[in-house]
Amino acid sequence: MTQMRAMVIDDSRAMRMILKRIVTKLNFDAVEAGDGQEALNLLADMTEVPDLALIDWNMPNMNGLEFVTNVRADPRLREMTLVMVTTESEQSQIVRALAAGAHEYVIKPFTEGAMIEKLALLGLVPTGANS
Amino acid sequence: MSVEVEVNENDLAEMVEQVWESYLDPEGINPLIPTYDENQPSEVHSSVSITGSWTGHIVYASSTEAARRAAAAFLAMEAEEVSQEDLTDVLGELANIVGGNVKAMLPPGAFLSLPQVVLAPESSARFPNTTRISGVYGIWDGEPVSISMWHSSSDNNQEEGA
Amino acid sequence: MTLSQTEFAFVSTLVRKEASIVLAPGKEYLVEARLIPVARAVGAANVNEFLAELQRRPNPAHQRKIIDALTTNETSWFRDREPFAALTDVILPELVKSRSAARKVRFWSGASSSGQEAYSLAITLSEALPPGWSYEIVGTDISTEMVKRAETAEYSQVEVNRGLPASQLVQYFERAGAHWRVTPQLRKNVSFKLMNLTAPLPAMQPFDVVFMRNVLIYFDVATKRTVLQNVAKLLRPDGWLFLGAAETTIGIDDNYERVAAGRTSAYRVRTGAPAGAARRG
Repeated sequence: MTQMRAMVIDDSRAMRMILKRIVTKLNFDAVEAGDGQEALNLLADMTEVPDLALIDWNMPNMNGLEFVTNVRADPRLREMTLVMVTTESEQSQIVRALAAGAHEYVIKPFTEGAMIEKLALLGLVPTGANS
Repeated sequence: MSVEVEVNENDLAEMVEQVWESYLDPEGINPLIPTYDENQPSEVHSSVSITGSWTGHIVYASSTEAARRAAAAFLAMEAEEVSQEDLTDVLGELANIVGGNVKAMLPPGAFLSLPQVVLAPESSARFPNTTRISGVYGIWDGEPVSISMWHSSSDNNQEEGA
Repeated sequence: MTLSQTEFAFVSTLVRKEASIVLAPGKEYLVEARLIPVARAVGAANVNEFLAELQRRPNPAHQRKIIDALTTNETSWFRDREPFAALTDVILPELVKSRSAARKVRFWSGASSSGQEAYSLAITLSEALPPGWSYEIVGTDISTEMVKRAETAEYSQVEVNRGLPASQLVQYFERAGAHWRVTPQLRKNVSFKLMNLTAPLPAMQPFDVVFMRNVLIYFDVATKRTVLQNVAKLLRPDGWLFLGAAETTIGIDDNYERVAAGRTSAYRVRTGAPAGAARRG
């Protein structure tokens, strides 16, 4: 099985640590970025595109929605699964993010179980796998 | 323009419970036990400001020890390993999460500031011209923790005049 | 102030008896935290006084408040996924053929708790049934509070995070203050009733599909048999019963047979079994 890769994009270091801990437990290699621009810069230098990005909405420099729009406009990044992870929880915001090309949306606060269930919906975690 | 804000103590308590369930007490064995004591002491606090359709602040305040334990639980480390940076980051994120959820209940057009963390009691920094509209006060792991919501009274005056 | 052993035992007996929920020792702090607002709401000085009064003079309304406070739900939307996939892949296509005259299907969510399963079924049916078809879902539960909760159809932020795709959250729910509420279009097809599965069941129209998952595990063999016999009376002869992954009819009620349904299995009443009267001699 090829190594799965995840990118964790959040301006809060504490939140990045939580997300990184969860995806690492699910056997992803994880890289971190503090905002959308930093994430795009990292992606530009990568030879292998990550399978998954977990993306905060409110960040300095480039917010999560702009990041999603940029990724969707780049054919090289077509295979990336994009999940918003944010306190933005108005219905209209969720609709905007999905319309921009996000695949899933997790509202903070989230439990570890809820995050894993969302990734299972996206086929990134085998359902019912215990190990 | 008059804006009716309905974020009561039950709403706030429910959000707080969700934060505990998600990060601070996933096993459900160490909840925040309510004291209803608005004057309980704090040693550190964090806050986010909301502007736009509603103006005010969401404040998370606790003892230093409670903040250290919160950081340890949040970051899955031992309390002794928690650095000042860890403690500050987690305090900021807790205010941000509660603030973000409060914002979702406000009329459209509300904006959330970045969190501010102050390693001093909440009472040292009472926000000027504000009134408390709801709060959750409790003891967590034997230590005081509170989450409160303050409405900027300049906005109040506008409402009265509207 | 912490709950004494006796107080904890009183509360845990109450919730086990009334809601089949087992409170493990060590949860004293949690129980106390949940009961402080209840005690305050009924005007008691503290939890100890509230419980002492309740032990002296049983008060069903206060007992209900305790059960409600202690039965937070871990229920996910589309829990276990496979039974829902089996519905869309196997069972609904079959029902669409066999019910083409009535163009209507009836589902039962047994032990519907706070309603996530019943509304997950409603989402599945509204997406999978052909135009012109209608559906009806009945959820039943032993707890009045749970029936009320399911009827309000309101869920917290943490609850809507659990296994519900974001596209369905925005399509089938609307914001209601701190909560999300199921849209009226789904709610009008879903109703909830108070029901004890182990007692003789009230008369109801038969169902095409019954979801009764993780209910039998709470009962002894004799009670499991009673429940399965009760269900058989309300299941259409060609209907389907879904049990939890750890549950089976095998060795309990031979009137059912286990059949494959997609990647999981379901139970159907054997042809030739005394329809609607699966009694043992």
